[in-house]
Amino acid sequence: MAASSSSPFLSLRDENEQPQQQQLLPSAAAAPPSAAPANKRRRNQPGNPNPDAEVIALSPKTLMATNRFVCEVCNKGFQREQNLQLHRRGHNLPWKLRQKSTKEVRRKVYLCPEPSCVHHDPSRALGDLTGIKKHYSRKHGEKKYKCEKCSKKYAVHSDWKAHSKTCGTREYRCDCGTLFSRRDSFITHRAFCDALAQESARNLNPPSLSSIGSHLLGLSQHDQMNQGALSSHDILRLGRPGQQYETLVSPGGFHPSPRGLFLHPNHDHDHQDHQNQSPHSAMLPNKSSLQSLMQLPQLHMNNTANTSSNSSAAGLFNLSFFPGNNNNAASTIDGGSHHSAAGYDSTLFSSGNLMSIAIPSLYSTSQAMQTPSGGQMSATALLQKAAQMGSTATNNGGASSSLLKSFGKSPDHHSFGGSGVYGGSNSGSGNHLHDLMMNSIAAAEGGSAASMFEQAEMEEYRGFHGGNSNSQQSGFSSLEQAGRLTRDFLGVGEIVRSVREQQQQQSGMEHLGSLDLQGKTTSHTQPFGGRSFQ
Amino acid sequence: MFPTPSPPSLISPYPWLKDLKPEERGLYLIHLLITCANHVASGSLENANIALDQISHLASPDGDTMQRIASYFSEALADRILRAWPGVYKAFRSTRMPVLAEEIHVRKMFFEFLPFMKVAFVISNQAIIEAMEGEKMVHVIDLNATEPTQWCALIRDLSARPEGPPHLRITGVHQKREVLEQTAHVLIEEAEKLDLPFQFHPVVSKLEDLDVEKLRVKTGEALAISSIMQLHTLLACDAGGNRSPLAPMKGVGVQFQRAAHTNQGTLGELLEKDMVNGYSPSIDSPSSSPLSSMPSSPKIDGYLSALWGLSPKVMVVTEQDSDHNGKSLMERLSESLYFYAALFDCLESALPRASIERLKMEKMLFGEEIKNIIACEGGERRQRHERLEKWNQRFELAGFGNVPLSYYAMLQAKRLLQSYNCDGYKIKEDNGCVVICWQDRPLLSVSAWRNRR
Repeated sequence: MAASSSSPFLSLRDENEQPQQQQLLPSAAAAPPSAAPANKRRRNQPGNPNPDAEVIALSPKTLMATNRFVCEVCNKGFQREQNLQLHRRGHNLPWKLRQKSTKEVRRKVYLCPEPSCVHHDPSRALGDLTGIKKHYSRKHGEKKYKCEKCSKKYAVHSDWKAHSKTCGTREYRCDCGTLFSRRDSFITHRAFCDALAQESARNLNPPSLSSIGSHLLGLSQHDQMNQGALSSHDILRLGRPGQQYETLVSPGGFHPSPRGLFLHPNHDHDHQDHQNQSPHSAMLPNKSSLQSLMQLPQLHMNNTANTSSNSSAAGLFNLSFFPGNNNNAASTIDGGSHHSAAGYDSTLFSSGNLMSIAIPSLYSTSQAMQTPSGGQMSATALLQKAAQMGSTATNNGGASSSLLKSFGKSPDHHSFGGSGVYGGSNSGSGNHLHDLMMNSIAAAEGGSAASMFEQAEMEEYRGFHGGNSNSQQSGFSSLEQAGRLTRDFLGVGEIVRSVREQQQQQSGMEHLGSLDLQGKTTSHTQPFGGRSFQ
Repeated sequence: MFPTPSPPSLISPYPWLKDLKPEERGLYLIHLLITCANHVASGSLENANIALDQISHLASPDGDTMQRIASYFSEALADRILRAWPGVYKAFRSTRMPVLAEEIHVRKMFFEFLPFMKVAFVISNQAIIEAMEGEKMVHVIDLNATEPTQWCALIRDLSARPEGPPHLRITGVHQKREVLEQTAHVLIEEAEKLDLPFQFHPVVSKLEDLDVEKLRVKTGEALAISSIMQLHTLLACDAGGNRSPLAPMKGVGVQFQRAAHTNQGTLGELLEKDMVNGYSPSIDSPSSSPLSSMPSSPKIDGYLSALWGLSPKVMVVTEQDSDHNGKSLMERLSESLYFYAALFDCLESALPRASIERLKMEKMLFGEEIKNIIACEGGERRQRHERLEKWNQRFELAGFGNVPLSYYAMLQAKRLLQSYNCDGYKIKEDNGCVVICWQDRPLLSVSAWRNRR
């Protein structure tokens, strides 16, 4: 199609320089060719008028005259001259029937007498006398015929007859029971009908929208799968002005099962949060997740033995930083993954290994699963929650351990964790953990840091770090950060407790928006190759 | 087309990961993304690498919403990192061959499965119809003529109006001739069916290089301009030392030309100086005092001036309503996380996870936008979405006055959204502009403007 229609466009543009008449006409590419039978009068293609046609401009009076041929004797009017001639025979008047002329008859085209009409222009003249008469009545004439059933009026008799045949044959019924014969009143009614509103609220299986309008657009062909389909698309046609979007509505008809997020059975979780069954409260995740998370701190305190007074969660971490265990565990997991992971994994995710032990124990003892129903939070909700966790943690007297808040707020602290999560700075239990971690790192370092940087895929980085010491240090700091990373993540307990006190949802946006670079104070801050990536 | 998913923790050294509940995994992913971005922003690549590696075990393009988002964001961050080695980067992308048909297909799907385009069309058309009441000669300029549906609907409505149809001309602008031809074909057919005098005029041109003379606006005709998610790309021309000359435009003051020259610098310099903001310092312009906080951007201002010079009866603009044009990576990351999280949620509610259409949209449409926002800088970063207020300021600076969208337009938009039967969509009115939101997160805004003076 593209190839065939390319030329008309080129020609159109060239034609713009030519006389006015040509300019008005769209490309002829879309017009159908003339009819098959050879004897049928060849129709001009729209846009290409016959250049040697005779242009006839009749006055409105002449055009509208029904009986143009009048008998002089009895003043009887006839539409055709032949009929008049035959009538004259009755009066014994001389009559002559005109024969069809032998020579090729010259095409005649007719103009609409109305000056503001498009067909007033000779280049857009119509080729048929009957056609121009009907056009003139329709567009510029008085509408004398009225349909009985509806109030539509017509100027041309044949139009009127055609309409009355189909009028009222289609009836519309609203769900509330009212009948309509007219589409537009039906639509208007549906838009405001109460019954409809209730139905759409209850509707769990969304209707696939009909493609009533879409066939015009060549859009999706999804069928109406539900009863509601007709109604929902009809709703959109609020009468003629509203017609425009009926055709736009065809969303592919695809709404899968339900407000999807929750009613998906989650295979991982046996339990569901019963408070969140309504599909339309899809977006109340905060409440439910808060509730679910709230169970955590109690469990923390129950299960873990605290070595530090400050934090219950710290007790959890005590478990996690035993290097010996971790190394063993890590090395056994090695298979299949890249080696570079092995070394630093042992420390980075050492906590993780034990976390996996610790957390399920936490959860298994809880009476209900911690996640909202179906375990599916929307991404938007997750972000808000993350930001909220950030904000509340910060509000807790400077413990900026949280995921997000820390970045903008505490330049003097370490990159992520800020001061210790657990109500103190690096003194006390924090330090203890810190030292523990350093020890573990040192112990594993023979393998880890070096291994991280000696791996083939890491070699590029080394070149930029100017030596091992730097890299080790950076590796160290990253491990430290990572350790804190995981620690912070697990510091849910502390955060959640404060969350409970602060029930209202804070807009996470401003918190996330306050992220900036100042929080980064790793020892290795040398911009990469002299450039930064900001 | 898409690789079969392997569960993230299958051969992972972190077996505990598969015990993570989806919510925790999601939170962790957010954390990792921000961590990684911080590392990238400060240049600590190996840390970024670690974070990306962790993300790779949790994220997946066919997992849940957060996993998908994370996979595209992490790809964008990796793209950004890789640009540090231009040779490697270019080699890596050298065999990429974008298929036009696929891109068109993806846009069609975006139109069909998500309501945004349709709502934009409905509102735009209504604004145009209202502005053109009583006009006999109507000329509509579409700054990105890919989707003929909008104009088919307009043709239908105009031919049905009580005073009779006007003579309609539509000028479509697009880079590719084939697309314009396709659009023309559909529209001409539609107009013929309804016996509406109609002309289509294709203009093959990049938007930023558009010459308004080519639009052939005639005196005596009523002009409407429609721009759907296009103008933000023009903001890229000011940053990054784009030296393309301003298209010859009417009414461009000398000060704009001067500003364009001060803007220029090489891309390398920009990277070197760690300066993302390529805007020149604000210049003295007559009405700049209330806008002193906004950097002047000669290209877009000049462009808007040119459009203003055409004296349109109405200009309807649809834009993404989110600030993805921040100077720092972290700003853009956090804003775009929210924005695309909402979009991915929309998709989640519209299509099942296994749907190929959804995967394609996420990858080819949203994924590419995310990549552009996160990984690119300067003239290459074309997805410079901005908030509605900023756009409003720009329009007013260029001499436009807001035309509040009518109640009827809003009603139609509401009905349309209701038909999607999804509670997440909300529509609200903001100073005469309409904003489509997902769960209170504004996504798309539609506004109408006319010449103020």
